[in-house]
Amino acid sequence: MPEANPKAHNTSQILFFVVCLCFVCAFLLALAAFSLENPQQAAKEFDESKQMLIAAKILNHAGYFEILQEDGESLRARFDLSQKILVPDPNSPKATEAEIKEVASLRIHPLLTDSSGKVYTLEEKNITLTDYLAENKKAGYANLPLKLFYVLLPNDPSISEITEASIAKDLSKAYSIVVPVSGFGLWAPIYGYIALGPKGDSVIGTTWYEHGETPGLGANITEPWWQKQFFGKVIFQQNAGGKVDFKTTDMGIIVVKGKVRDVYGNSPKAKSAVDGMSGATLTGDGVTSAYRNSLTPYRKFLMELQEK
Amino acid sequence: MIEKNPPLASYFTEPLWKNNQILIAILGICSALAVTTTLSTAITMGIAVSLVTGFSCYFVSLLRKVTPDNVRMIAQLAIISTLVIAVDQILRAYFFNISKTLSVFVGLIITNCIVMGRTESMAKNIPPVPAFLDGLSAGLGYAWVLILIAAIREFWGFGQLFGKQLIPLSWYATPEAPDRYQNLGLMVLAPAAFFIIGGFIWIANSINKPDKQAY
Repeated sequence: MPEANPKAHNTSQILFFVVCLCFVCAFLLALAAFSLENPQQAAKEFDESKQMLIAAKILNHAGYFEILQEDGESLRARFDLSQKILVPDPNSPKATEAEIKEVASLRIHPLLTDSSGKVYTLEEKNITLTDYLAENKKAGYANLPLKLFYVLLPNDPSISEITEASIAKDLSKAYSIVVPVSGFGLWAPIYGYIALGPKGDSVIGTTWYEHGETPGLGANITEPWWQKQFFGKVIFQQNAGGKVDFKTTDMGIIVVKGKVRDVYGNSPKAKSAVDGMSGATLTGDGVTSAYRNSLTPYRKFLMELQEK
Repeated sequence: MIEKNPPLASYFTEPLWKNNQILIAILGICSALAVTTTLSTAITMGIAVSLVTGFSCYFVSLLRKVTPDNVRMIAQLAIISTLVIAVDQILRAYFFNISKTLSVFVGLIITNCIVMGRTESMAKNIPPVPAFLDGLSAGLGYAWVLILIAAIREFWGFGQLFGKQLIPLSWYATPEAPDRYQNLGLMVLAPAAFFIIGGFIWIANSINKPDKQAY
């Protein structure tokens, strides 16, 4: 093959070709990365607030607004522009991007807390949210001296007048408290939210907005049928007698291997556990420790919510 | 190996069965293990690989006269990965939901040996259009095998197809009635795909009856 090869080139030609090819490829990729940076960032931020609304059951996975009822069922809803609230409507159209953004800016309010449970606004601490999010994403917000959480306001026309400072003073009006959760799955870091009720103990829902788990196995943590189990679970785990010592008990939601009823039966711990996914035990373990490690630093803060 | 001037259509039909990349060339096995637990992931992967192989073959074939032989593999790999990453970037900016489902596949697509196998064995020898057809159909040949495996694995492993429960939940064993139906746990794990692919290869070989002298 070597002698009769018509494509034999000398070294400088080869080098020239490789350098050219690399430059063209690098140029194309740099161009793509540079020109698409802003839309990518916007798409990501939009998805994060969307995931938060899904965790809090304000939006469902199919893309419709919904209103959570006392019994845990949700009513389909549409966004009413004049009153700026969601109204029940069984034939509502899918939520548009603009409506989701509007609802997110009306109802989601980021706040900070420290390890003693005091609440601050971002302005008070001179922190801008985008910088805070970008700088601390890898380390996890739970481990910082100032920990991030979100207050979701109720579906009420008066909320557009409430300032963040007054929310920070009085959290009792909150519809939900959302805590960012992060940890390690089987292959890559996982990032998500857990939406808690206003008392900071029972779970409304959970979502993951970034992960690298195996499609069809670990990636099922993003599936609605798996996330559905979280509603009504409690993050302060109860002991065998059904009592909770909020100061010392383990926190988080346990993803068991197999079914909860096989592992815990009717013991009170089953209230803090969800079914695992077959073929994704290690992802489940990662999710369990993500909840534990991300929620435990908020213990004091969540305990104060109980007392209100 | 390649006829002088085969009709254009044969580039498309050959890799679907006679020269199927999984069953005959035994390529792309690694991703076939990873993404065949459920039908929907197998279909996504099948479509993605078909398009990537098609377009990579097209561009490799365009450059075939200027690519020095010594660095052809590196050149092919650079073209393939540039294409895949560029597409991923565009999806991330404008089709975020699709990109979320696909992003975990991106690494699997670049390293899929079918893409390189087709560019190396076909695209660098033939003009762009037949190369494109050949690549596309190599991907489709891969896709249908993946879909079949996934259907078997999802049905026996989860009792579902496309995420819809087909085996009634009331048939399943419970602590009170342990002798009833249970999912075949092996099907969810990677070795099951090995066994199924092995079975398929056996069937394909006994239908095609390859020339014994080839071995």
